[in-house]
Amino acid sequence: MSLLKVSELDKRFGKNYILSGVSLSIESGEIHALVGENGAGKSTFIKIMTGVYQPEGGEIFWQGEKVVLKSPRDARDLGISVIHQDRHLVPYFTGLENLYLGANYPKRKFWPGIRWGIMREEAERLKAQLGIEVPLEKQAQDMSPTERTLLEILRAVRVGSKLLFLDEPTASLTDQETETLFRLLLHLKSQGTAIIYVTHRLDEIFRLAERITVLRNGQRVGTMFKDEVNKDTLIQLMAGRELVASGPPKAQKVNDQPLVLEVKGLQTVDKRVKHADISVRKGEILGVYGLAGAGRTELLEAIYGIRPKCAGEIKLNGKALSRPSPVSSLREGVVLVPEDRRGQALIMDMSIRENITLPVLRHYTVGGVIAHSQERREAKDFISKLKIKTESQEQSVQVLSGGNQQKVVFAKALISRPGLFLCDEPTQGVDVMTRSEIHRLLRDQAEQGRSVVYVSSDLEEVLEVAHRLVIMQDGETIAELSAEGLTQEAVLQHCYHRRKESESLIGGER
Amino acid sequence: MEERGKLNGLRLLRMYGTVIAAVLIVLGFSVLSPSSFATLDNAVNISRQISFLVIIALGATLVMAVGEFDLSVGAMASFGGVFSAKLAVQGLPLGAAFLIPVGVAFIIGLINGWIVTQFRVLSFITTMAMGTILGGFTFWFTGGTTIFEHIPVGFRYVGQTEWVGIPILSFLMIMLTLIFWFVMVHTAFGRQLYALGGNEAASRIAGIKVGTNKNLAFAICAALAALAGILMASRLGSAHPTGGNGLFLPAYAAAFLGMTSFKEGVPNIWGTFVGAAIIGILANGLTILEVPTFMQDVITGVIVISAVILQKIGRR
Repeated sequence: MSLLKVSELDKRFGKNYILSGVSLSIESGEIHALVGENGAGKSTFIKIMTGVYQPEGGEIFWQGEKVVLKSPRDARDLGISVIHQDRHLVPYFTGLENLYLGANYPKRKFWPGIRWGIMREEAERLKAQLGIEVPLEKQAQDMSPTERTLLEILRAVRVGSKLLFLDEPTASLTDQETETLFRLLLHLKSQGTAIIYVTHRLDEIFRLAERITVLRNGQRVGTMFKDEVNKDTLIQLMAGRELVASGPPKAQKVNDQPLVLEVKGLQTVDKRVKHADISVRKGEILGVYGLAGAGRTELLEAIYGIRPKCAGEIKLNGKALSRPSPVSSLREGVVLVPEDRRGQALIMDMSIRENITLPVLRHYTVGGVIAHSQERREAKDFISKLKIKTESQEQSVQVLSGGNQQKVVFAKALISRPGLFLCDEPTQGVDVMTRSEIHRLLRDQAEQGRSVVYVSSDLEEVLEVAHRLVIMQDGETIAELSAEGLTQEAVLQHCYHRRKESESLIGGER
Repeated sequence: MEERGKLNGLRLLRMYGTVIAAVLIVLGFSVLSPSSFATLDNAVNISRQISFLVIIALGATLVMAVGEFDLSVGAMASFGGVFSAKLAVQGLPLGAAFLIPVGVAFIIGLINGWIVTQFRVLSFITTMAMGTILGGFTFWFTGGTTIFEHIPVGFRYVGQTEWVGIPILSFLMIMLTLIFWFVMVHTAFGRQLYALGGNEAASRIAGIKVGTNKNLAFAICAALAALAGILMASRLGSAHPTGGNGLFLPAYAAAFLGMTSFKEGVPNIWGTFVGAAIIGILANGLTILEVPTFMQDVITGVIVISAVILQKIGRR
């Protein structure tokens, strides 16, 4: 009997299916890898299995019995845990306090004080049993990423978890730390714990997992034993159908146009971007693609000037910018369309008009006083130009649909008449119609001689829109490809194979 | 169509509920005490009584608009009153005695803002500490006693004179309210303050200078608080080291009441004015009805809480 069996799992948001008909079974003492491109449905699957999301259809069987996971608590009570660095830790609690978070503390019968001694002993026993070292007296915020991961695993083991989900656990670990983690996972496996391991790092999968399940666009493409596949076949399965970049009209040659943006060796203070080189010509749309956490958003933020850089050069129209800031960027004709619409792009309790005109208020002011009629006229222009559906420009943006909100964001970007657009996931959470409207808009802008940097985690989309493609990985730009004739598979080959190089290099050391 | 009319009716009630409440309170007192409350003299009196509160609450509204708090306004009012009286006693020209404390307050406000924006310290903590510091200075200046000896007669002019039957204080209050309404609604500065309060990250990306604008809001708030304290000292002809402290809570009560009207959930100037008026009218009316002071506090508190709850319910 399988430990966990799911059949025909469906999950949709609105009309979009995020998961459809996914079936899977996990045995005790198995490490099962779950792979797929960005947006394939891996995170959603985890969220369903841990009671965060409710599926629209399908059944879940736990040790042969049908269960419904209504809340994270239900999942935890069954023995399902997710390990996710620091998301489930209280930063200023010590390791020991975090270990017992939400658990029943040992107490005496007639005295409410917690018996820390007993907890400490139990924790030490647990550590010895698993053969790992976690400094339990340290506060979680002072721990390294591995220590935090190990602490979470310790906690999962303490409450008797039978199934662990690990989501990209090695993303910020050094190789030695990764080894420690792997040893622990193999130990847990030998004790009969099942582990579902989600990662982009295919080499890790071949080292750890017995079986591999590939998801694509919310569907299970296949489950196979590790011996039955190799890396290339996996990549093919993830990429799916052969898709050749359609791209913008090929007639348009931009290679002889002057460079608008040149970035060389860019590094940010927080090292989220380690070494980025990109360049964009006049009238060109440059796609930037990378797997989650590759540093794409951070690159745009550094160029725009809201993330401090510590090395490298940013040249705009041939002029070097030493310390860009939003104010200087806007003045130089650069706009940022941020990924996080509610958090960074719109002021939700302001009206459509006020949002659109915010970056250019000084255009309508004389001595600080706003000329309202002129402001209203321009807002109206952009509302009709972008076909924003609203009764009035005084409507608060809060009540608009996602697609219309994004149009307001674009109106706000266009109103400053920029020469360079930095777009971060500009079609996220918008409907198909708006999506193609946004694509058309950006192409029009490019044809009129403006330039675009287009970041998206949707590879199909990047291939559709961009003239040229830059691939980012772990904070570095690793490849630059012309979009003409480029296939999805070729791009993924770049993403995954580069990783192999760096990993085999380290393997050689050992 | 009818559905829409109904919705608009509800919306209007929500937007002007606080104003309606103010009118009802006035009507209630007028019925209960027609001979002392409902007189022109008393109306003039109320306008004078609330002038300090309105002026201090205007500043609080600006700081609330950028999503921060200034808890030092009460201490700043006391500081301003004492500082100004001290300067007047020293024989400085009256203009200087009035304006120097306002200027110093402006700078202290800038410091408040600078600490908040530069070091990302919560404004709550920063201004609370600044209030304590100011309180300390105020006691130092005065030795803890009220300043009333040797205050020149001219110092009382602004606080005690009426023009065409209307106190200068009331004129000042109306003027400042109009000025700040204009600033908040019709200038880029006001729009930027609201944008900052709505979403700081988005404002930064839209090219708004976060630090400069926030610092100015704090500075203006502090200057207005000091001005309120000075006017109060001028009105009383004396300055007490804790004279302005009592304005702090009513000022925020007025601003919160104000957030329930005109622009829902957003601090706004006319709302604050109406809020301050409600608090002032209640104090005045209840005193006339000889309700003990402690009951007045209870009633004012209950009204503020009810207004805020009603607005939350209305928004659902």
